[in-house]
Amino acid sequence: MNTAVSTEERLARIQLNAFLYFRADWLERLIEIFGSAQEILRQDASTLAREAHLNPDTAAHLLREAFSVNPQEEWDKTAALGGHIYLPEDEEYPQSLRNCKEAPIAIYVLGKPPTENQACVAMVGTRKITPYGRRVARKLSEELTQCGVTIISGLARGIDSECQAAAVRLKKPTVAVIGTGIGRCYPPENRALEKAILEYGGAVISELPFNKPPNAFHFPRRNRIIAALSQPVVVVEGEVKSGALITAKLALEMGKDVLAVPGPIDSPVSGGPNSLIRQGAGVVTSVADILDYIPQASRFGLDARYFEHGEQTPDKPLEKLTDQQQQVMACVGTGQVSLDAIAEALQLDVPQTAGLLFDLEVQGFLTCENGLYSKSKF
Amino acid sequence: MLSTVYTGAIRGIEGFSVSVEVDIAPGMPTLTVVGLPDTEVRESKERVVAAVRNSGFDFPLKRITVNLSPAELRKSGTQFDLPIALGILAASEQLSEPAREKLKDLLILGELALDGTLRPCAGVLPMLISCKKLGKTAVIPPQNVLEGQVSSAPFITPHTLKELTDYLEDKITQEAVTLQYVPAEEEPPEPLLDFAEVKGQALAKRALEIAAAGGHNVLMIGLPGTGKSMLAKRFPGILPPLTQEESLEITKIYSICNLMGKSRLLTKRPFRDPHHTISNVALIGGGSTPRPGEVSLAHNGVLFLDEFAEFSRAALEVLREPLENGLVTISRAKETVTYPARFTLVAAMNPCPCGNLGNPLKPCTCSPMQINRYKSRISGPLLDRIDLTVNLNPVKYSDWNKTSEGESSAQIRERVLQAREIQRNRFQGTSTTANAFMNTKQIKEFCTLPPGADTVLEAAMRKFGLSARSLDKILKTARTIADLEGKKEIEVKHLVEVMQYRPLDRKGVADV
Repeated sequence: MNTAVSTEERLARIQLNAFLYFRADWLERLIEIFGSAQEILRQDASTLAREAHLNPDTAAHLLREAFSVNPQEEWDKTAALGGHIYLPEDEEYPQSLRNCKEAPIAIYVLGKPPTENQACVAMVGTRKITPYGRRVARKLSEELTQCGVTIISGLARGIDSECQAAAVRLKKPTVAVIGTGIGRCYPPENRALEKAILEYGGAVISELPFNKPPNAFHFPRRNRIIAALSQPVVVVEGEVKSGALITAKLALEMGKDVLAVPGPIDSPVSGGPNSLIRQGAGVVTSVADILDYIPQASRFGLDARYFEHGEQTPDKPLEKLTDQQQQVMACVGTGQVSLDAIAEALQLDVPQTAGLLFDLEVQGFLTCENGLYSKSKF
Repeated sequence: MLSTVYTGAIRGIEGFSVSVEVDIAPGMPTLTVVGLPDTEVRESKERVVAAVRNSGFDFPLKRITVNLSPAELRKSGTQFDLPIALGILAASEQLSEPAREKLKDLLILGELALDGTLRPCAGVLPMLISCKKLGKTAVIPPQNVLEGQVSSAPFITPHTLKELTDYLEDKITQEAVTLQYVPAEEEPPEPLLDFAEVKGQALAKRALEIAAAGGHNVLMIGLPGTGKSMLAKRFPGILPPLTQEESLEITKIYSICNLMGKSRLLTKRPFRDPHHTISNVALIGGGSTPRPGEVSLAHNGVLFLDEFAEFSRAALEVLREPLENGLVTISRAKETVTYPARFTLVAAMNPCPCGNLGNPLKPCTCSPMQINRYKSRISGPLLDRIDLTVNLNPVKYSDWNKTSEGESSAQIRERVLQAREIQRNRFQGTSTTANAFMNTKQIKEFCTLPPGADTVLEAAMRKFGLSARSLDKILKTARTIADLEGKKEIEVKHLVEVMQYRPLDRKGVADV
């Protein structure tokens, strides 16, 4: 740990960090004006307002929020989970984040944060995932992870979880930047995923106080951290107005490359990426398209095979299937099909169809959601 | 002077005999009813006074005490009017000595109109059945004659109080006060709803067939307009016919609730579909004077809960006891009554609050949070009691327009009956009636895993996240599927089919 910052100052910064209604760079500016965070907390609201040219109400609010957290408690609780609270002065504070204009003045980290020159790709998207988005997210994430890239995402439902789960299944690290305090898990069903991320050397990062519950305005804020940590940012699926597009916008402002996965023009959740493409975002059709945008400095140690464009040579797993199974796959196509429809198309009864579908699902060719089957592989 | 008249009352779904003791003593003219009478019994005083006077008798202006014995049991119902009136006539010696003697061999039930006419009352059938052993002739209102016939107890059906006293005084014959011939006033049978009319939805039909064969509960999840109610309404049509005891049981319940209509003995399986705003008391039964609720009215039949997730949490949670034990126990400070409630639950719900999740044509406007909250309204313990869950998808136009009809209810019922027959032999001598009600020991005995089942179950656990706790239900359902095919042992394909009916066991796709 860096000793440039005294413990008292460190705790004061943690307190100051709890004021979420300010941009992080404004807080830095305040610290500059007063010399230290400790000094800020010693002021009363009116002095603070006068000296920093703040609205008196805002100044009062800031002090109220800052004193609502007990920094020692935050520190102890984080340590109890095996985590750390890093300031930009610390060595462990990710360099890419430090470079960002709005770098948080303190981050809570569980696990191992990304190091400088680690290849990090943000994979973000909608919570309303479609089977297409799921297929794409899974395939790209798996290949990126195998190649050696760290996936950065927000642990939200849908695309985020899908991408991070893909990395975890390969037992490789991935970084989740969450929109709650690290003492909480949101959405709750991702508790197991969060645990697995930490188990396989990934990290969970948040700038929010330890026990902060989820709140709508936390998420756009958190998106800037995702964008800052990564290069490039890939939008898999998302509506035209969505958190994924906020991330893309923030990434562009930071000078990062934004890539988008094209989708059907009649699918609302492909509206976001398609509009990004229209505005000039890179098109993702394979993992190599993403890898092209990884900075040269970060390429060391990545698996070179994945960088090659060119004819994809899909191993043809379908050929191993029986005729009837292939008929089922053909019937499912790229859509979502119910058991009834398959039974009718193949002229089979329910038990027979159920048997076929069970085999295909167990072998990983099909996924079933709400009674509708869709293919789960390319 | 003192007189005693016999009548009956209801407790749970059983009747018990009550003796009405009337004492007339000199004093201020009052009429007091004691012996835990309910409001309607206390009100009967006013009806009795008017009916006695309007039948041409004098109402004694003396101190009258009516005691309903056994005094510690609460008495409700309007059947006490007639016995109280007769008790007063006997005690005031307006009936002759032989008539008073004759009165002792009668079990008297009936509500009185102010002019002395008899009106029907609730619960006649269970009271007659329970009091048959007393060997008394019953007096029942003519409107309750069908219940009298079902009970096979001797009975007479006078139309008025006067007619009854005339009979007691031997002024008219027994034939004159008995409806000899009752025309079959059965309601014309409703045109039977048939499964052949349901287009498409092969999976849901199959699930209902399995449910009917093994007594399993079903949950249908589907978009509005996919035929959930349509399927549910046709479900009773594939259930096996009622046995004599079963139909007597439900007739008793309907008699207590005064829901007999014009039928003699209920021969159709009941189908109850309460609205989702129902209170938990109306659903389960209860009230200060306990009454059977919808679950008991659905006894031996089908309880269809449409919009399952819209029912109040309290109402859904009270369903757990009847689903587990097949009966409802209602405890009050003074008494505890038990109503039978062994029904098949058919529940239906939308996939999400707006109803469009999974609709290819309309986007769902719900947030993932709303969907989760909607689904979590059905608690785990309740879902544990539902063996079969199916997703219904919109019917395609080509299906809807199909001219060829699907299987008819009669064909499905045939298979169901065969499967039930197998189960009857299997469970002979035990209290279990169908596969769904097997206990752990029976599951061990009758549901041996076929060779190769381990791979299937292991794959299902790994891929779908099936928990060990759903294993028992899977085995029970597989047993029923095997019975439908007439197979002695469960086979792997039966287990595989069951996986189709457990979509809610699946973990989220992105789970690790």
